[in-house]
Order: sequence, then C-alpha cells, then structure tokens
Amino acid sequence: MSWAAHDLEPYAIQRHSRLKIAFVPLLLGSYAPDLMTKWYVYGIHIGGWKLKASDPAQFHRGWPGLGFTHSFLYGAVICLIFWKVLGSKNWGVSFMIGQWAHALTDAGDTVGTMLLFPWTHHFSVGAWAYAGQTGRSTDAAAYFSGLGGMWDLVWIVYGFYSWQVLTRSYFEQRVFTADGFWRIANKAVPMAALLVLYRAAFFYGTSRWIAWTIWAHVVHHYPYDLSWGGPHWVHAAHS
Amino acid sequence: MKRPDRRQLITLLGYAGAAAVYVTIGVLTTDFLLSVFVAAAFLLLTVWIVPLIVRRIV
Repeated sequence: MSWAAHDLEPYAIQRHSRLKIAFVPLLLGSYAPDLMTKWYVYGIHIGGWKLKASDPAQFHRGWPGLGFTHSFLYGAVICLIFWKVLGSKNWGVSFMIGQWAHALTDAGDTVGTMLLFPWTHHFSVGAWAYAGQTGRSTDAAAYFSGLGGMWDLVWIVYGFYSWQVLTRSYFEQRVFTADGFWRIANKAVPMAALLVLYRAAFFYGTSRWIAWTIWAHVVHHYPYDLSWGGPHWVHAAHS
Repeated sequence: MKRPDRRQLITLLGYAGAAAVYVTIGVLTTDFLLSVFVAAAFLLLTVWIVPLIVRRIV
C-alpha cells in the first residue's frame, strides 16, 4: 500500500490533465479505496470490541474481500453514479481518475491490486513490501524504510518543483473555476480559507512523510532497505 | 523555473512553521498523523484562524 502518494498525486494530475478536472472528487477518488478498507485492515476498537480482518491483505486487496475497491471497475461504477444519478460528469470523471491513480500506485507493492476485477488476477510490481497485516506501526516503519517511502518522496519533490500549483493565482484561475463546489463553498467560507483547504492534502502528505520517517529512523532506528521488494526485515504479504 | 516572490516566500514560511509543529506533535503522538481531516483542521487553525485573530488584535 502507499501512504503519502495518495495525498500528492492529485496535484500532479490536476496540473497535467488536459481535461477539466474537479479537485475535490479527484482527491476523494484518490482516498476512496482505503477509506473503505484500512480501518478494518489495522483494526478498530468499539467499546470493548476489536474489529479486525483475520486476513488483512485478503480483505484489503483480495476477493472474497474488498479488493475490488482497488480496481478500474470500481472507479467506473462510482463515476457513472456521479454522472447519471447525481448529474455531474465532471465529478464522476475526476473521481475515477483519482481512484485509478490509487489502484495503479498500490500495484507497486508485493500484494498488488486486482486492476481488471472481476478478473481476480493481482497486478503487482513488487517494488515494496506489503505489511498491513503486521499492524499500523510496523507497517509504517516498513513502508518508510523501503522503496514505497521513496516513491512518496518523488511526489513530494515533484510537488515542490511544480510549486505554482499551490499558489493563490493557480487556485483561483484553474481549481476554483473548474468546479462549482468551490463557488458554493465560497458563499459560507472565505477564499483564503478555501485556499488553505486546497493546500491541506499536500501539507498532510509532506508533513506525515517527514514525521513517519523521523519516527521510524530517528526515534526507533528501523534500518533502511531500499532493495526491490523490501524492506526484507518485515514479513511481506504476497498475492 | 520561475522563482517565488517575497510574498509567496512569506506564505511558505508560515506553512513551514505549521509543518514543523505538526511533525513534532506527530512524532510524539503518531495517532495525530492518521487523519487528513485533523491535518486540514490543524492547518486552518495555524495558517488562517490564528493569524486572522492576531491581525485583529494588533
């Protein structure tokens, strides 16, 4: 699985797409597969009960399970719901592009994703270890010690290189005008606050990448292992 | 590559300061790093609401 990449990719997609892209559904699509699944992968406590998947990788990426959330079909179905039921083609297409980016990015790990579901074949590049089954802390330590963390870093560096996408003028001319959502929100929320909210995912992705890296390598001294499929000090799940 | 102007650098400085605080809290309490909604609320507070209040007081 990927961490900060899902926060950062929408800014690059928004910049380079020749289509009219709505940023909010694009970001929503980029988060959607994990919003549906990650709480149960790591487990949550409700009262005295702990809810957790017995096989987190299977639940997250497989079938039976919710692995279809990481497929092209899932993005296309939600796109059609936005388009035909809710009447917004722009939101539908933008959501689909964000969700497809998520599914493709997560194919980088050792479990991979069922991109062509209902065909249940897992497409996996195998560049970094999938360690969701080990719990959130070990998963974070592993991810930020291997090529997954480096992949996130590529997006951070690219974001700073393309810093104009974070400016007020870019937001007002390209993002605000592409989606009626911002105009409606602007009736209740000042433009300055909307600009902060637009930048929030970039802030979140970059800041948490730094924080988890410090936590893993300065506070806890987990070793880096940038070899293919690593880090190999963690048990990686495979499809 | 176009370079940021003075006003943009000041904005960047504000965000960098907010990031430094966010990262510090996050390293000490990793639960703080788990939600984009928490991060967005934190960012609104630190780079919009607090400066707004300070400007009105000063």
